[in-house]
Amino acid sequence: MDLFRKYLALLVSGIVITAALLFYLLNIPANREANMLERFLLDAMAPVMQPFSQAGRFFTETWSGYVDLVNVRKENQTLKEQVKQLHVRLIEGQEASQANLRLNRLLEMKSVTKPKTLTASVIGEDGSSWFSTIVIDRGSSDGIRDGMAVMSAEGIVGQIVKVAANSSRVLLLTDHASGIAATIQRSRARGVVKGKGGGLCALEFTTREEDVKVGDVVVASGIGGIFMKGMPIGEVTMVKRGEYGIFQTVTIRPSVNIARLEEVLVVLRGGYE
Amino acid sequence: MSRKGVLIFTLATLSALLLQASILPLFFIHYFKPDLLLVIMVFVALRCSYQSGIPAVILLGLLKDSFNGLYLGLNVFSFLVIFLVIKGLSDRIYAESSHLFVLAVTMATLACIGTNLLLLMFTPTPGIAFSIGSSLLPHLLCNAFAASLVALVPAFDQNGEGTC
Repeated sequence: MDLFRKYLALLVSGIVITAALLFYLLNIPANREANMLERFLLDAMAPVMQPFSQAGRFFTETWSGYVDLVNVRKENQTLKEQVKQLHVRLIEGQEASQANLRLNRLLEMKSVTKPKTLTASVIGEDGSSWFSTIVIDRGSSDGIRDGMAVMSAEGIVGQIVKVAANSSRVLLLTDHASGIAATIQRSRARGVVKGKGGGLCALEFTTREEDVKVGDVVVASGIGGIFMKGMPIGEVTMVKRGEYGIFQTVTIRPSVNIARLEEVLVVLRGGYE
Repeated sequence: MSRKGVLIFTLATLSALLLQASILPLFFIHYFKPDLLLVIMVFVALRCSYQSGIPAVILLGLLKDSFNGLYLGLNVFSFLVIFLVIKGLSDRIYAESSHLFVLAVTMATLACIGTNLLLLMFTPTPGIAFSIGSSLLPHLLCNAFAASLVALVPAFDQNGEGTC
């Protein structure tokens, strides 16, 4: 009995640690759904996070809009030039779109209807530097399901991974656990865009023979049915072909500026039941 | 834990979570994110008893896991291990020292990163070791800085029995 009392603290510590380890191993996700505790915590914190997030944005906007006005004139002129160039490209794009419609009609192809989307605000971010997730203020009560695609005006943002009643967590495309089937827009080379952390992605499983160049636009290939075909992912910033090996190393900068994300669109299609 | 201790712990945890998830990411760049929940955990380990500390630390771990990453239980395990190690030593040292607190937070950060890395080997996240390694130094510095700010709070030097 004395021996038992002597080692009681050690025994209890060992049991508690083993229980915690088992808890973690059981939660290594096969389907990444939020359990009851995570849903409760997300629902409890979301109404509090939203006003704080808005307050923080108010201060940053006040700073950048009124205080930090250095170089605004120069930036304005640069932006005006860019707008002119983009206007020309827009007209060219509209012409291409019209031609596409005509050709599709000729070929009697089935028209693709755009799925319904839901706007959401970003109310929180991942607290650690090596995971990349955000919290949005929409949840299952708005029709969101685990696995739905999330995008912005610039391109793909990520995928819904945890859903609570009024808020959800989005796994960004730059997270190590993220994987998106992708295609190079120019050469149609295929691969999988995986997160590398630090705001970058890598195009993996692209063979050495495939034509990939710096500056190429990477889009979703539509395989898997989560992300619509043609949705922009990013731009190639580095291509490396070693002397040996089957695949080439391709680094991608996402087209979405993750650090300045405020609103996103959730594509209300698919998702896991 | 006394009622006052529970109230202080709850307010501190909520504030830390809000700062960490909603406010600080707007102002700090990617690598410079302090782990305020870890700072609270070290404080609890140095000042509170086993009976009140273990549930508090488990709660802190669960909160952190619910808003960081995908893996529930990752930081529960890490925090628990670090708590038990610090608690085992706290009876033999001057736990009210601010220098020791900053040092403990620094060591706890290293231990937390190491444990997380070990446990993440069971998950399909290739390349995360590089991300963790490259953010190690800024994370350490941020946590140490956050701990030094906590040590400036006037109530920090009070006897632990009053709060826990």
